[in-house]
Amino acid sequence: MPELSYREAVRDALSRAMREDEDVFIMGEDIAEMGGSMGVTQGMVDEFGPERVRNTPISEMALAGTAIGAAMQGMRPVAEIMYEDFLTLATEQIVNQAAKHRYMSGGQLTVPVTFRTQGGAGWSPGAQHAQQLESWFVHIPGLKVVFASTPTDVRGLLWSSIYDDNPVIFFEHRTLYGLKEDVPDELEPIPLGKARTHRQGEDVTVIATGRLVHEALAAAEEAEQEGVSVEVVDPRTLQPLDEDALISSVKKTNRCVVAHEAVTRGGFGAEVAAVIQYSAFDWLDAPIERVGAKFSPLPFAPVMEEFVVPHQADVLDAIYRTVGRNAN
Amino acid sequence: MPTEIKLPRLGQGMESGTIVKWLKSEGDKVEKGEPLYELDTDKVTQEVEADASGVLLKIAISSGEVEVGKTIAVIGEQGEEVAAEPEQKDSGDGDSAQPVDEDAQEEGSPARAREHDREEGRRASSRMSEQVTEIRQPSGDNGGRVKASPLARRIARERGIDLSAVAGTGPEGRVVAEDVERSAASAGPGQLTAPAAAEGVEVQQLSSMRKTIARRLTEAWRAPVFQLGITVDMGRALALRERLVELNADGNVKPTISDLLTKVCAAALMRHRAVNALYTGDAVELHPTANIGIAVAVPNGLVVPVIPGCERKSIAEIAATRAAVVDRARTGKVQQADLDGGTFTISNLGMYGIERFVAVLNPPQAAILAVGSIEDRIVAVDGQPAVRPRMELTLTCDHRAIDGATGAEFLRDVKAFLEEPGLAL
Repeated sequence: MPELSYREAVRDALSRAMREDEDVFIMGEDIAEMGGSMGVTQGMVDEFGPERVRNTPISEMALAGTAIGAAMQGMRPVAEIMYEDFLTLATEQIVNQAAKHRYMSGGQLTVPVTFRTQGGAGWSPGAQHAQQLESWFVHIPGLKVVFASTPTDVRGLLWSSIYDDNPVIFFEHRTLYGLKEDVPDELEPIPLGKARTHRQGEDVTVIATGRLVHEALAAAEEAEQEGVSVEVVDPRTLQPLDEDALISSVKKTNRCVVAHEAVTRGGFGAEVAAVIQYSAFDWLDAPIERVGAKFSPLPFAPVMEEFVVPHQADVLDAIYRTVGRNAN
Repeated sequence: MPTEIKLPRLGQGMESGTIVKWLKSEGDKVEKGEPLYELDTDKVTQEVEADASGVLLKIAISSGEVEVGKTIAVIGEQGEEVAAEPEQKDSGDGDSAQPVDEDAQEEGSPARAREHDREEGRRASSRMSEQVTEIRQPSGDNGGRVKASPLARRIARERGIDLSAVAGTGPEGRVVAEDVERSAASAGPGQLTAPAAAEGVEVQQLSSMRKTIARRLTEAWRAPVFQLGITVDMGRALALRERLVELNADGNVKPTISDLLTKVCAAALMRHRAVNALYTGDAVELHPTANIGIAVAVPNGLVVPVIPGCERKSIAEIAATRAAVVDRARTGKVQQADLDGGTFTISNLGMYGIERFVAVLNPPQAAILAVGSIEDRIVAVDGQPAVRPRMELTLTCDHRAIDGATGAEFLRDVKAFLEEPGLAL
C-alpha cells in the first residue's frame, strides 16, 4: 500500500483518469508549469502536455464557462479554481449555467464538469483567501458538492466526481494537503452520497466535514478518557447527503454535534441540524450543538485567526454540553 | 488492542436480544468461532460465536435484554487493560452486570487502579448531577411547561410517567432520558404489573419466544381470514409412502406422509402462485419458489423452520432437510437462517389423533394448511360402502391476499395430487 499525501492523492486520481480516458483534461490558472498554486498538478504537464493540462487566463468566469462548454460537448473537464473565494467570480456560470442545463434541456444535455477548489484557515491567508463557502453550493439544485477529509477519500471521491454526469463542486482543504495515509494500490471509487463513520461511539455523534473531521477525532479521543464515547461521522458528500447514516447514528447516541470550519450562521451544519431534528426528534436528549467559525471575516493576524475558527477544544466543549457536563 | 464484543444483528428487524447465559467466564481463553454465549431473540435461542481470539477480559452484561450494537464483552490479550468500561446506561431490564464492589477490588495492580480512578470519576460526575437534583426539585414551575428533551418525553410517554414529577438534571434543570429512567426504576415495576400472584400459582415470565408468539399471533388474529376444508382419500399416498420407505437407502431419512404432503403442496403452490404469497400491507408478493415452513413443537413454544425450494427437491431431499432442521429446532440450535424466507406453512397435528383443526395465519404469509389424522372411514365408493383411509385438510387464507375460489382451486389440486400422486409430477 503506497503512502500518499492528500495532495498526491488528488494528483493520482487526476492522472489515472487522464491516462485511461482521453475525454478527461484539466484546466486552471497556473496549473501547468507552475503546478498550481498549491502544487497539486505538479509535473502533470510533462506527462500529458499543454493540450490536456491547460493554463487559462486569470478569469474564473471565462475558465468556468469554457469547462462547462467542453462538458456539454462530451468531455469530462476538471477545472481548478485556485481559491474557493474566487468561486464568486464564476458563480454565474456554475449556478445559472452548469446547474441548469440538464434540467432545462429536458435531459438532452449533461454537464459532467468537476470544479476543484480549496480553501481554509490555519496559515494566515487573510479574509479573501480562506473562506469556506460550501453551503452556498449545497443550496443550488443541479449541483453536487463534495468535501473530502482524507487522502483515501479525496482520491476515490474525485474519481467518482469526474465520472458523475452532473456538475460537481469539489472542495479540498488547504491544511490537509500534507496529510499522509496509506492508500490501496488500486483506486477504489467512493460513491457520492455515502457517509463514512470514522469512529464508533455510544454517547454523542459528531458530524464533521473537512479539517474538522480531524479535530473531532482528536476531541473524541480526549472525551473517551473522561468516559464519554463519541462517534465521528463525515458525510463526505454534502449534496446528495447520506441522511440515513447520520440519522441512524444519532438515533443510537441520542446526541449530536455538527462541526465545520465555515461560519456557523447559515452554514452546512444548519442543514444537517434541521435534518436530524426532524427525523430523530424523539431520539434527541439534548439540543444539537453547532461548531463553526465566529461570524467575522477571517482576520490576518494568526492569533485572531486562531480565535475565529474552531479547533479540537471547541468540538470537545460542544460534546460536553450535549452530555450536560462542563469542560475543565 | 482489546476487541469489544457487541450484540450482533442476527436477522432483519432484530432490535435487541436477551443474553441467556455465558458459555465462558471472565479470564477464559476464547478461540474465534467458539460458542461464547447464548442469545434469545424474537425467533430463536442460539449460541453466538466469538468474533475474536484471546482472553475474555470482561463480561459487561451478564444477562438480560440488550440493544443491538451494545458492547457486551471485551476480548483481548492476557493481562491487557480494558480501556474504557462499556456504557451501562440502558442495558435493559436491570439484569445487567452488577456494579463493581469497590472493597472487593484487588489493590496494587496499576491497570486496576486506573480503571478504579475512572470509575471514581464517573461516579463523581453522577454525584454532581445528584446535587443539582437537590437544588432543582421537580421542574414544574416553568409557565406550566416541563422542560424535557424529546427523548425523555418519548420514554415518559411510552411508560406512562408524569414528567412534572421527575427531577431534571440536564442544563437548566431539563429532564433528560436518564432522569426518566431513574424515576421509572425507583417507582418500581409493581406500578404497571398485576397484583402479586396468589399462593400456589406458578408465574411463568414470558420468554422472548413466547412474547414473539403472542405478538405475532395477536397480529395474525386481526387479519380477515376464512377457512376451506376438504377430505382426502389417502390410499395411494400411503401406498406410495410405503414403497418409498422400502426403496429407501440405508442411512437415509425415512420419508413420512408429511414429507409427501410438503412435496405435493409445493407442486400445487407452483400451479397456484397466488397462494404462495406474502401480504405486506401495501402489496401482495407472489413468490417464485415454495419455501414451506413446518410448525414444530419445542419445549417452551413452537418454531416454524423453513424448507426452501421444495418444488425443486425430491421427497428424499425434503425428508433429509426436514429431519435436520426439525432436529435443530428441538435441540434449541435452530439458526435465524432456518426460520427466514417462508412462503407457506403446514401445521400437522395428525400424530396426536386430531382429526381437524383451524390454524392461525403465520403473517406475512397469506395461507397456512392444517393437517388432521388419517382415519379409516366408511365412505361410498362406486355406490357401495367401503373402508378408506381419509384425512382432513383445512386451509386458512388471508382474504386480503386470497379469494375463496383461488384457495379452493389450490386445495382441490392438493387433494388431487394426494389421491393420484402422479399428477404432481
